[in-house]
Amino acid sequence: MAKDSTTVTEPDSQAPSTETQSAANRARDLLTPEDHLEILRQLYLTRYFDVRLIKEKRRGRLRGTLYSSHNQEAILVGTIFGLRPTDWLSPIHRDMPAFFLKDLKSGWDDPNRMGMSIQEVCAQVWGKATAPGRARDNWSHIGDAEKGIICSTSMLAGTIPVAAGIAYDFKLRGFDGVVLTYNGEGATAQGIFHEAINFAAIHKLGVITIIENNQWAYGTPVELECPTKDVADRAKGYDIPGLIADGQDVLDVYDKTMWAVERARRGKGPSLIECKTFRAYGHGDHDDDRAAKYRNSDDVDKGRSRDPIAVYKAELVRLGILSQAEADAYKPEGKHAIETTDEDFPPAVVAALKEAVEFAVNSPMPEPDEAFRWVFAEDQP
Amino acid sequence: MSVVAEQAAKKNYLAGLREALLEEMEARPDMVCIGEDIGLLGGAFGVTEGLMERYGPQRVIDAPISEAAIVGVAIGLAMQGRPVMAEMQFIDFISCGFDQIVNNAATMYYRTAGKVNLPIVIRGPSGGYGGGGPYHSQQNEAWFAHSPGLKVVCPSTPADAKGLLTASLRDPNPVIFYEVKELYRKRDIEEPIPDNHFVPLGSASIRRPGNDVTVVTYGNPAYLCLQASDELSSEGIDVEVIDLRTLVPMDDETVIQSIRKTNRVVVVNEASRTCGFAAEVIARINEMAFEYLDAPPLRVTRADTPVPWVKPLETAVLPSVESICDAIRRVARF
Repeated sequence: MAKDSTTVTEPDSQAPSTETQSAANRARDLLTPEDHLEILRQLYLTRYFDVRLIKEKRRGRLRGTLYSSHNQEAILVGTIFGLRPTDWLSPIHRDMPAFFLKDLKSGWDDPNRMGMSIQEVCAQVWGKATAPGRARDNWSHIGDAEKGIICSTSMLAGTIPVAAGIAYDFKLRGFDGVVLTYNGEGATAQGIFHEAINFAAIHKLGVITIIENNQWAYGTPVELECPTKDVADRAKGYDIPGLIADGQDVLDVYDKTMWAVERARRGKGPSLIECKTFRAYGHGDHDDDRAAKYRNSDDVDKGRSRDPIAVYKAELVRLGILSQAEADAYKPEGKHAIETTDEDFPPAVVAALKEAVEFAVNSPMPEPDEAFRWVFAEDQP
Repeated sequence: MSVVAEQAAKKNYLAGLREALLEEMEARPDMVCIGEDIGLLGGAFGVTEGLMERYGPQRVIDAPISEAAIVGVAIGLAMQGRPVMAEMQFIDFISCGFDQIVNNAATMYYRTAGKVNLPIVIRGPSGGYGGGGPYHSQQNEAWFAHSPGLKVVCPSTPADAKGLLTASLRDPNPVIFYEVKELYRKRDIEEPIPDNHFVPLGSASIRRPGNDVTVVTYGNPAYLCLQASDELSSEGIDVEVIDLRTLVPMDDETVIQSIRKTNRVVVVNEASRTCGFAAEVIARINEMAFEYLDAPPLRVTRADTPVPWVKPLETAVLPSVESICDAIRRVARF
């Protein structure tokens, strides 16, 4: 079967592929103009967060490795925007913004918000005691069980079984929540990817595996990670839907995600969504220069030619939600992070980061004594 | 059966384990068990027999052959506050779930700065002497004792099996629980098990008091050490046998107290020699009681080989009453 970005593999006989697609299209139709403007704001915020960290890293202010989410923002915003506060996420290394995008619709100031503040995420990046895990592991390795975020390890695909455990608990409690796990296409070659999705499919758990197929697993191309034409084809082995989304199109990601989410809420089990995208830079910032060894610049230019911010703004102009002048007011799209300036982003977005970075910079480091704490939970009954 | 008769009834090691599981499942409706063949079949050895009938397939999960997923799912359930028992059909298979155990479960409490603890017991049949060959005979506790954040337990008596499993299931940390499968149905170690029996983790047991040589061990070799002690008593060597019962945390105090009395020590573990737990015990003794020693500490372990299948080969590499007696004689006569 030929595949394109609108093809859905749907083995569920009660929802053939054509109906599936029309159902998916309805998700975006329910978005209000305010929702659209919020999605756009989140895309700017996600891009600016990354830009700011790239610049800070280049100035030598940050420890550890930065895995840029540049050019993949539509996947994060599009998968998270429609979730309920009580749904769970397990982001990985390239998903730093996911921690603060979760339940962002509630607004930063909502004390019951089920997502991290951008301050705590920055505190994590700066390695401060105010970080969610008090900076005991680096960058994206943070979680918050109270806010529905799984803390990942460096072992890719390793959080999918944990997500299955969370979703199994939902099932035991009769709760219709879902857990979104994020993985690159390379992680689908891991044994635990198979074990975990197999288990989730057997028990029809609300686990949705988002594959950010950015074509490159560190220095290895997707065709050396996955033998099928599309990574989504892996879903066939589990008799679960394997959807393909255009990872540059936030609304397509949103539609596919909401279709899978609603299906999972009805107790029909997991889905896999392959979001096709392209990694903007090296694997990590340490690798930006060496990446030229394995990716030629024409391919990189082509892969980055559909900036998700530009794609979305064009759609908003078409829908009459933005005027062309409004769309042109801020234009980070198509620029390398270091070529952008603060004027390329809405002032509120720049201000949010400024405040968060100040919080991080001014926060204390953890005391050395803390290194010996919390090995065992002996204080509990 | 009257209460008195029931209390007096002798029970085997497997019954002790099963009682602990049944009682904890009964007392804690949120507890979940997961493992291969633990439900419909009741476990390859019958440890979980009756659990699914009583608590249903939702709480007693017949998992696919996926040790890594079994542990990972257990982590997710435990993150939601549920106590979880995860069975490895043979403890040898735990290596298939290694990453989830040492990188994910063991470090979760540390990585979250004390916010998320994981009440998981990963238990399974371990040990040789039964002709199981390389993949049904392992005693791989050293891998996990070496991973901070995991407790490691290995009972050798029916009462300890129950008391330590109960304590492990109530512990807020991940516990790797080594059952000695050769003891599961061993008749001559059956004993009464008190109701609500609970043995705190980290407490060793003096299985035989003595004054001349301390023998520190755990698991199946405890019986070999007791047998060796009986033989050596006729030679005038009075052996004290300490069953550690818990490796992490280890009861240093009981070991050190004994050495202050005997001034001589042999450590016996069933696992292979290099970096086995006996090496750790001897290192601690050197750090904490070197000045009390009248002889170099010795260890008796499996040879640095896999566990071979057929009996003459298996016997050749595992600790025996003879090899333990030899070591005790050497330190006694030093």
